[in-house]
Amino acid sequence: MYTRQNQSSLTAAQKKRFVSALLAVKRKGQYDEFVRMHVAFYVGDGDGGQRVAHMAPTFLPWHRQFLLEFEGALQRVDPGVSVPYWDWTVDRSPTSSLWGEGFLGGNGRRSDRRVMTGPFAYGSGHWPIKEGVTEGEFLTRDFGRPHDPIELPTKDELAWAMRDSLYDSAPWNSTSSHGFRNKLEGWTSGVGNSKFRNHNQVHRWVGGHMLGAGSVNDPVFWFNHAFVDLLWSRWHRKYPDSAPYLPAGGTAAGRVVTLDEPMPPWKVKPSSMIEHGHLYRYA
Amino acid sequence: MEAGNPPVGLGPAGRRLVTRRTVVRRLIGVALAAAVVPAAALVGRAFRHPQDDLKDAVGGDFEETYRGRHIRGARGQGSMMRAHIGQRSGRWDVTVDGRPLHLMRRADGSYLSMVDHYQSYPTPLAAARGAVDELGDQMLRRHAL
Repeated sequence: MYTRQNQSSLTAAQKKRFVSALLAVKRKGQYDEFVRMHVAFYVGDGDGGQRVAHMAPTFLPWHRQFLLEFEGALQRVDPGVSVPYWDWTVDRSPTSSLWGEGFLGGNGRRSDRRVMTGPFAYGSGHWPIKEGVTEGEFLTRDFGRPHDPIELPTKDELAWAMRDSLYDSAPWNSTSSHGFRNKLEGWTSGVGNSKFRNHNQVHRWVGGHMLGAGSVNDPVFWFNHAFVDLLWSRWHRKYPDSAPYLPAGGTAAGRVVTLDEPMPPWKVKPSSMIEHGHLYRYA
Repeated sequence: MEAGNPPVGLGPAGRRLVTRRTVVRRLIGVALAAAVVPAAALVGRAFRHPQDDLKDAVGGDFEETYRGRHIRGARGQGSMMRAHIGQRSGRWDVTVDGRPLHLMRRADGSYLSMVDHYQSYPTPLAAARGAVDELGDQMLRRHAL
């Protein structure tokens, strides 16, 4: 059992250990496998085939297992590290310590969005992008989309998702108008900036690599998903009488995974992903 | 953005009066609908979106120069299909400066591109332009991820 901390509470020494483990996983080639896996499992709900990672009820258990796999890779390098979470309702500034020189580095520069500071800047030599959508080998960010500004999700926007006591609802995709899962994932039929909510809005706010198929290339991906994972735990505690995962049974012609079906690629069942207190807890 | 307002189209925020019975009814409805589709009909052909007939009537192949980038799009039958997961590129083959731009379809009929996974567009052309807006000076990879 280990603890996942709020990123803002990490000491300089903890940040250094985390970054060192991350760079080791990258050097070994394992990091790019996580990038590729996320690309492969990003399936649109209007295309054919089964979806598990996004636009589906398994958005939460799939990323919980994805985080555990990644954290396992980090801990094989250094058993003392875990994935920190980023509460974007609190740490909302482009100059937050999250984006500091000794942690994730800062925003991309205006001309080509290239991250210029910190351990993941191309110039550091440690973080060449191998599995990107473009040919560019440098990590990119575009905080707040300056040409059409957007903010990080607010406490009120998150509360809107947390107020829904139903886990998910038919048609179990990005158009589900009821349910915590889709509101936290952040698909809406809104227009302008109101079309982005919560998890999706964070991807949009960071921009650059976080916006596209290769979002895992930006280590902040894990910080966002650790917070999303924490929110699922909080939601479960808040509504002990609600089904912690839906759908419970046969539905949707095999296009989504139900409670006791194996979830690709790990073949774990959502029902076995609901409790995590025996593995890790949040501080 | 006004804090606390629900996104358009998602109804009022707050506790919802969705009863267990409602959920069960929905589940039964979906299960019945799935049961009457012959298994053979689901095998060996591309998934057909209910809105395809409408789209087919109004949307044609396209080719244009947008912000200095050469965009082409043609209705495909999955030549850019990512076979390992059976994903069908939104059934469009789109390129930017000759490099493949993978599109995904959303259940509401809109399109996402691999450059921007979070903003969907009503047509493949709009999705391609949106991708160009985000690409800046960068070239897509020769082979799609």
